[in-house]
Amino acid sequence: MTRRTNLWSVARALLLWVAALTVTLPLLWVALASFKSPAQLNDPGLVLFAPNLDNWARVLEAGVLDAAGRSAMVATITVAISVVAGSMGAYAISAYKTGGSATRFGILAAQVLPPAVLVFPFLTMAYALRLDTTYIPVIFAHLSFVLPVITWFLIGFFDAVPRSLEEQARVDGFSRFAAFRMVVLPQVLPGIGAAAIFGFTLSWNDMFYGLILAPTQETILPVAIAAFNTFRGVELGAMSAAIIIAVVPVVIASFFIQRRLVQGISGGAVKF
Amino acid sequence: MSTRRRGLLASMGLAAALALTISGCAGSGGVDAPDSSGLGDIPADTEGTVRILMESVPDTDIVVDLVASFNETYPGIEVEIETLAFDQMRDKLIASFQSSEPAYDLIVVDNPWMDDFVDAGFLEPLDARIDSTTDYQPEDFFQPLVDITEVEGVRYGVPFYNYALGYLYRTDLYDEAGMAVPNTLDELVANVQQLTTSDRAGIAMQPQRGYKIFEEWANWLFAAGGSIYDETGNPTLDTPEAAAALDAYIEAFTTAAPANSSNWAFDEAFRSVSSGQSASMISYNWNLPGLNDPDGASGELAGSFALAPMPGGKQVLGSWSWAIPANSAASDAAWAFAAWITSPAVDVERVVAGGAAIRESTLSNPTVLESGFGEDYYAAIIAILSDAAPLSQGLGGEEMIQAVGTELSEAVAGTKTVEEALADAQAAVERIQR
Amino acid sequence: MTSTMSFRWAMLAPVLTITGVAVGFPLGYALYLSLTDYRLTSRGAPNFIGLENYLFVLTDPRMWNAFSNTLAYVIVAVALQTVLGLTIALALQKQKWIRDLTRAMLLAPMFITPIAVGLTFRFLLNDQLGAIPAALRSIGISIDFFGPGNALMTLALIDVWQWTPFMVLLLLAGLESIPRQPIEAAKVDGASAWYTFRRVVLPLLTPVLTVAVLLRSLDALKVFEYVYATTRGGPGIETETIQYFTYQTGIQFFRLGEASAVAFVLLAIVMTLIVILFRRLQRSAPR
Repeated sequence: MTRRTNLWSVARALLLWVAALTVTLPLLWVALASFKSPAQLNDPGLVLFAPNLDNWARVLEAGVLDAAGRSAMVATITVAISVVAGSMGAYAISAYKTGGSATRFGILAAQVLPPAVLVFPFLTMAYALRLDTTYIPVIFAHLSFVLPVITWFLIGFFDAVPRSLEEQARVDGFSRFAAFRMVVLPQVLPGIGAAAIFGFTLSWNDMFYGLILAPTQETILPVAIAAFNTFRGVELGAMSAAIIIAVVPVVIASFFIQRRLVQGISGGAVKF
Repeated sequence: MSTRRRGLLASMGLAAALALTISGCAGSGGVDAPDSSGLGDIPADTEGTVRILMESVPDTDIVVDLVASFNETYPGIEVEIETLAFDQMRDKLIASFQSSEPAYDLIVVDNPWMDDFVDAGFLEPLDARIDSTTDYQPEDFFQPLVDITEVEGVRYGVPFYNYALGYLYRTDLYDEAGMAVPNTLDELVANVQQLTTSDRAGIAMQPQRGYKIFEEWANWLFAAGGSIYDETGNPTLDTPEAAAALDAYIEAFTTAAPANSSNWAFDEAFRSVSSGQSASMISYNWNLPGLNDPDGASGELAGSFALAPMPGGKQVLGSWSWAIPANSAASDAAWAFAAWITSPAVDVERVVAGGAAIRESTLSNPTVLESGFGEDYYAAIIAILSDAAPLSQGLGGEEMIQAVGTELSEAVAGTKTVEEALADAQAAVERIQR
Repeated sequence: MTSTMSFRWAMLAPVLTITGVAVGFPLGYALYLSLTDYRLTSRGAPNFIGLENYLFVLTDPRMWNAFSNTLAYVIVAVALQTVLGLTIALALQKQKWIRDLTRAMLLAPMFITPIAVGLTFRFLLNDQLGAIPAALRSIGISIDFFGPGNALMTLALIDVWQWTPFMVLLLLAGLESIPRQPIEAAKVDGASAWYTFRRVVLPLLTPVLTVAVLLRSLDALKVFEYVYATTRGGPGIETETIQYFTYQTGIQFFRLGEASAVAFVLLAIVMTLIVILFRRLQRSAPR
């Protein structure tokens, strides 16, 4: 019994180490590349060298930080709307099968359709409503795929919550909405956190809608990063620096979100 | 169950109806011409803002740096330049044409798009402006570049910069092997094979599917004595010359190109050459200053590169042109800028700063020869630009290039024989022309 | 009863309103375009041509090639991600040491815009400039990662690198929402770890697992950026995916009407598959 347990924990540690290395080594390569000169970039084995800050200067000058700010704003608004609307909708679908499969599957439609096809309808809408100088069209386009994903994401979590919990709350005098808000919602908090993180990445990473629908001159982050892929070659050093700028703050934020959530559940919500 | 299904149908019907009512919007973008004199000389006190969408490349950076100097002549014109990477820029440009509100006042157009944009009515004809601009000397532009701006005898643009190709090679390695620059396709294949060693490829090639492989192979086609179109504009891709060119291309790729490079594009090839892992490549003429720049990617190898026309003298031409969108809100101010930046005097400044050539006189200008990148380089560019042809003619240029590039890639990958691939390429171009 | 009804619909209203506008309108509009000869370079109102685009698209071997490429890509990528994601999530759940940091680190690939991931791997896997082929060469292996026969699988592996973290994120959250009680009970009964996992954890995790696979599949179906950043659909047409095909047709070649028809063919096929799969699931695992 103990030998098997030990074996399992060794295998588990090994697996996590391999996973961590697989994730970090390419990122480390990117981080190194951001400090390399164009000639040094041609040498993949080069690890020790005098760091060069030109790429970072170039990236800051190109306004990548502003672009990151715009992307963060768009993603935050998109996710906030999606989490509120999505958790309510997912609950209605999970608990009462409201709307039937038409709703359930219908909202996934935009998830399947290519952005190349949907973007022009969005653009027409933006022009017709004179919204083309605002971020509203981008946020709407992002909602078209973030909201369905978050809703579906949460249906599974609500499905896993025993109905008895809610019935008990109703017996205790909670209104329907209060039972949802105070009793059911805390149960799916890890799911909501994970859904929010994922929804954020979808919006944060989208290049195509942002390119076409964002106001002129106000580049969002993925477009700013893609701009280093020029006709005269990929500016690998600068692009690497931009990638680091895109990743580090989000990883830090997800670290705190996850810690909050894990504490959230272990701190009292579990009452089975 | 059936009620649910009916609900789904009903909601889809509703959405479709909604769409139909607004469908009037599709294609309603386009011409909405604001005030425009349509004439050449723009008064220096003209006021306005010129919003320009450009590709993020060094040639654009040079233009950006010249804006301050433009404002000394035209203090009332504000120039706002937005730069994007190639494909993003194209997508954004197409999208901007769908609006009746002007989004950009001046744009740059790549040669495969020219006919389609003109056909769609996106561009303002420029003949009157060009001919009535004082001291503009339009006859000084390299003729192949002007040809690209012309659709059915009307000019819709003025050249911004060329990206004609040529043969870039290491002079030290050629000297060492006692070889001369190739004059025929056979010599090219023999040379790159001879330059191949265990740790260095003779030629870094760019067989990536689509644009890249076609752009590279077409140079081989010209060197084999072939052509893309005949005199009447019909494709000539299933000729014996084309087969010889593709055979030679595949032979060089299998015997003298770097290992595992079947998806390489410009970037990989340039890095391979600049890091000394390949001895030569076929690429844009203006790569030479970059390769020979000691602060660039070549490091210690800088200075050992040279440029020559393709064997046989003819090569592929690409070209960007300045054009004024039909829905430009400031077409006079836009022309003021386009005419200024391409004027003989400013062109000298631009080329000295590293911009790619458009005018013949600039390349013989003493300032350029002295402070530019060397007389040999400019002589080679004059030779290249005097005999160069673009990949596509007429409508559907982009699709034609992609279709041929796909068939060529099939041949290199071995999924089609040379004959099959060329026959399919010929058929595809004929279909697109229809 | 009525109050229950109105409560349900009130809860659903925000989602329905937003998707009605953000999805319904573009969807309806694209459906209309798919019935016309609309080109991005055409002026004036497009002509209504009925099902012509659909007939053309359905008989176009290039469309079906793109479709089967995409399908192979999705199956390989999502299968690997599910297995890896579940294994890593289980391992992480038991982990005590620097757990939050490890979790946050493992999520990092998700936060990079896919085009940058594609470009990074294009160079990492480059035979002369990349670290991975250099390492493989030292043990005598030489692979043309983007060459004939390999390119599509390379792209699927890039997808695995970037999106296994999504599976980990979702499944870990799922594992943490599972009630402790049944697991404790199984332990008390002396069940083995494998038995507990197989008979207790996995069934409870099924709803989340299903959704994870579904969402990831739909997202993988949209693979475009990797193709765009690396192979451009080559060698030949080996990596031409449905999204790349639609992008080329609709935007690069201007034929938006035809591209919209491709999109709706795709939508019809995918929706049918999803509905069938879910019916099966509901029948085989009554809850």
